[in-house]
Amino acid sequence: MTEALQNLSQSMAGLVEQSDGKVVCVDARQRLPGSGVIWSADGLIVTSHHVVERDDQIKIGLADGKTVEATLVGRDPGADLAVLRANATGLTAATWVDAADLRVGHLLLALGRPGSRIQATLGIASALGGPWRSPSGGEIDHYLQTDVVMYPGFSGGPLVAADGRFAGVNTSALMRGVSMAIPSGTIRKVVETILTHGHMPRGYLGIGIQPVRLADALQQAVGQETGLMVMSVESNSPAAQAGMVQGDVLVKLDGAPVRHVDELQVLLTGERVGKALETQVVRGGQLQTFAMTLGTTK
Amino acid sequence: MNDILTQFSAGIASVSERVLPAVVQIRNGRSGAGGGIIWHENGIIVTNAHVVSHRTVSPQTLTVQLADGREFTPRLLALDAEHDLAVLQIEAQGLPAIAVGDSQQLKPGQMVLAFGFPWGVTGGATSGVVIGVGTQIGDLRSPHEWVAASLHLRPGHSGGPMVDVAGRLIGINTLMNGPDVGVAVPVDVAKRLVQAVYEKQRSANLPATPSANDKPNIVMV
Repeated sequence: MTEALQNLSQSMAGLVEQSDGKVVCVDARQRLPGSGVIWSADGLIVTSHHVVERDDQIKIGLADGKTVEATLVGRDPGADLAVLRANATGLTAATWVDAADLRVGHLLLALGRPGSRIQATLGIASALGGPWRSPSGGEIDHYLQTDVVMYPGFSGGPLVAADGRFAGVNTSALMRGVSMAIPSGTIRKVVETILTHGHMPRGYLGIGIQPVRLADALQQAVGQETGLMVMSVESNSPAAQAGMVQGDVLVKLDGAPVRHVDELQVLLTGERVGKALETQVVRGGQLQTFAMTLGTTK
Repeated sequence: MNDILTQFSAGIASVSERVLPAVVQIRNGRSGAGGGIIWHENGIIVTNAHVVSHRTVSPQTLTVQLADGREFTPRLLALDAEHDLAVLQIEAQGLPAIAVGDSQQLKPGQMVLAFGFPWGVTGGATSGVVIGVGTQIGDLRSPHEWVAASLHLRPGHSGGPMVDVAGRLIGINTLMNGPDVGVAVPVDVAKRLVQAVYEKQRSANLPATPSANDKPNIVMV
């Protein structure tokens, strides 16, 4: 009767052993270190953005007990990802599952290495979905929520599918109190963008804004109760070049309503940079529409 | 697909059936109850120090209740507060002892089960996987090694067994470290304590100095 149970238990312990060499300890914050995953044999490590609190003196603990120095290549706070380069070669890179192949109920192990030894816990895929935008504005290719308990130091570690491939990087910081994993599609995109640009491009307008309530008549006309009043415009900024002036109330950008500051922030994505975006403002009680070309931060 | 789930579930139930006869309830008049483990058929019981030596508890007020309902007043043979372990003796023979495993062989990710008497409920089975074995569990730092598992221990689980999927004892449930981590004393630590008790008993049975009246106790090697 217990044969199935013993096989299962041994398989799980075997999966942990097999994954051990691809999981590292990331020591880049004051409190307990976090975890990371080996992305490439030549030393690229992916981890959670919130695990990397300092930009230098980053140390990576490898499975063989060695500690090596690492530098920060770049980060994407929106997806809670950071890319590091460890001073090591000949590492074993992780292989990844396509998140589209996961089903709700699939068994998953979450691994961490907050110290020298690997640690593990078990859970299932709780909720899956298509592309979504994190509360901090990250674009993520699949929604992947699990019920794994994120023990201290587990952030940045891998979510492991039953076949031993990694399904994502676990984070407890992206949505408070919910265990999420960033799937490989997004990790790949973030790594490639950071390697190409040295950072994740973010859109830049050059305005200071504050949410305000619209006049009743305007609420009807615009179809929203609030907008973002422009309190300042930087000279020579994309907003200044588009003719935006202090006192304008921004209500729509690229066809989407901007009722709160975070609604604007999630629109300022890398792929909108350089594009002329339809911009709707209330100026002198009248609605006006013009084009504004999104700039980028450097 | 359901077949393996059924086997899995039946497997867990069968481990429980095997282990539960070796789990005893330890009560003290006032402050609740904990668990204990029948270590040897001759009445040796292992539990937590904090189950038997709470400041309101004296060993005279302890009761050990076996799974078959029989009750005994135990003798306290050893107390190791540092590792939260105690060894008791009850006057009984032929008891269903637990199979003693090996905590050195534990691997992160392997399944474990824990038993005890949460809220006085008999059995209180809960399952999870080994998170890790070591001196550092999350924010807890300790000079001693512990087994951490992803299962839910409640106060009455204290002193009860943590077992592998073969039903072998791998740890003695000892504390909760937050709601989601169960911490156990590795069974190897308990082995050393029981061994020390045996050696003390053995030397106590020897005469201090041999006299002419003693039976010869010479071993030829």
